[in-house]
Amino acid sequence: MTSRQRPEAVDGTRTPETLSGADIDYPVDVDRPHETAEDYSLTELLAVSAAHEIENGELAFIGVGMSLISGILAKHTRSPDCQLVTESGYVGSRPPGVVQSISDTVLGVDALFASNQFQIFTDNQRGLFDVGIIGAGQIDRYGNTNSTVVTGSDGTYDHPKVRLPGSGGSNDIMTSCGRSVVMMRQDERAFTTDLDYRTAPGHLDGGDARERAGFRGDGPSAVITDMAIFRFDDDGEMVLSATHPGVDVDDVRAEVQWDLQVADDVSTTPEPTRGELAVLRAIDPTDTVLRGSDYIYEVGFEEWSERVMEQWKTFQDTQ
Amino acid sequence: MTPLDHGAVAGESFPDADGVASGSPTGSRSRRDKTTDLETAIDRYVPDGASVAFGGMGGRDPEAAAREIVRQGKSGLTVLDDARTTLFDIMVGAGCVDRYVGSWVGTSLISQGHNVRNAVENDVPHHLEMRDVSNFGSSLMFLAGAMDVPFVPTRSMLETDIPEHNPDIEVVEDPLGSGDDLALVPAATPDVAVIHVQRADRLGNAQIWGNVVNDHLKARAADHVVVTCEEVVPTETIQRHPELTKIPFYAVDAVVEVPFGSHPWHCYGYYYADLPFYREYGQRSRDREDFLDWLDEWVVPHDEYLERVGADRLATLEQMEAQINDLPPVDGGEEGSR
Repeated sequence: MTSRQRPEAVDGTRTPETLSGADIDYPVDVDRPHETAEDYSLTELLAVSAAHEIENGELAFIGVGMSLISGILAKHTRSPDCQLVTESGYVGSRPPGVVQSISDTVLGVDALFASNQFQIFTDNQRGLFDVGIIGAGQIDRYGNTNSTVVTGSDGTYDHPKVRLPGSGGSNDIMTSCGRSVVMMRQDERAFTTDLDYRTAPGHLDGGDARERAGFRGDGPSAVITDMAIFRFDDDGEMVLSATHPGVDVDDVRAEVQWDLQVADDVSTTPEPTRGELAVLRAIDPTDTVLRGSDYIYEVGFEEWSERVMEQWKTFQDTQ
Repeated sequence: MTPLDHGAVAGESFPDADGVASGSPTGSRSRRDKTTDLETAIDRYVPDGASVAFGGMGGRDPEAAAREIVRQGKSGLTVLDDARTTLFDIMVGAGCVDRYVGSWVGTSLISQGHNVRNAVENDVPHHLEMRDVSNFGSSLMFLAGAMDVPFVPTRSMLETDIPEHNPDIEVVEDPLGSGDDLALVPAATPDVAVIHVQRADRLGNAQIWGNVVNDHLKARAADHVVVTCEEVVPTETIQRHPELTKIPFYAVDAVVEVPFGSHPWHCYGYYYADLPFYREYGQRSRDREDFLDWLDEWVVPHDEYLERVGADRLATLEQMEAQINDLPPVDGGEEGSR
């Protein structure tokens, strides 16, 4: 497999360290930014948790929605030197606000590279990207995911109970990206022993299955849900690693079909800081992604456009 | 394994403006004035039963061209594509599409593809047959088509159900002996690719700013290419920045000037996406009757569509885009940012 080894740095340069505590320079005005936030929503906790999966200096392959807002948050807080990669062709963007779609023109802002989908996935298959964040409808104990069809008891692929959007880039990211993070809803029907369809490869059936399949990427390293954070053991099986504040291990177990492994030192998910929350709310002033309210479903055109432009300006002034 | 050329009109020749039959791409695509209007271009190049690929991807999508396909009542289409949003959902709901080969269907961050779900799950208005590939798979099917080879291999899609349910994808062991399995993605050769760009000249040299998605490959894989653009510009303007020409004249059959041709999505350097507009589509496409009303209201000739959206609203979308992205000056400043 010598032809598939990842090129290594030859000049001895080191990856910049991920920032923490008082080293983080928040780009918004907020008092006591390093202290724990007093109130935050579940989606805000998820966005912050996903942002913590992106280390400084990494190339982070992200999609629309929660994963992109997490990427933008990471870039403005702990990992200022990470670079965002999107499947539509952009690398290195510093979007001034939330991204509505994968070719959103805000991705053109400060981009280092505006290319095409073929090139981005070729680079992904070559192993040039460090971490990818995907979503899924179902997952099994080895982190294999389904985002294609829910067949239910009497449905089929051609006539499913629920037609989901499909792979998008999730298959390609889970196959070849350095490691992958899956974000999804914690639900007993979703954490299943029997996927209705395998869209993206996790640790397959465990052990060295990925290596035997010739996959370059290490597969899923974390699963982040609305209740907990999971990691994977050496055999590629999911292990409960942390529960969100107020959630018990048994609450999580009840939403998993298999006999869930639980870490000895299961922790509580770190709460967002005031600074992180302020950044999140600043980049989503119309509540398009965080969705703590129905605002985005009700706001009129004039007000929407004014708020978006005003928020872009605030961001642009800090650049 | 056969190339994914499922259209009923495969191999059929279209007479072109200069009278040259164009079963082969050459000949008809000579250096000639290819400008026409949207109605004529869609009527000529998108016959019933055709296989079609669309450009853009949640940005620079050829929305106006797709609405024209619906307005002309096209049927039996196969859409060979990557990720598709509103234009596909509208065409499916209107009954234009029988089959989709691609990687992702939905409408946006704030809405599902209600018509796609209704067609696949409930056969309304009729069944939509789905053939899934991954995103890289969709790029590669157009690469294979553009290379005129039967397939391109990849490591994507191995060990999953994608090849199980898409019989056009074969998994083989590397014939050169590495021992690795590879998924062979068959060539997609759509009858026509419909692509919206920022600007083109009359010959069909199409220039794109920002990301290209798979458009350069789709244009070369397709038998025919319809380019819609924000502006038709003189060839001299193209010549000042030839590096921006992502689709050259020899791959293009028709050029149509369609300002705001991607609304409600973005067109980099020209206008931002109209979220409240496509949010309304998402809400009104939940219910069949509401969706049919939406069609009546919005599937109209493009100039009428723009009047209904309103000049002030369109100007605001231009202003939004101008705040974040400027097109680089193309003529020492004389032509400004456009």
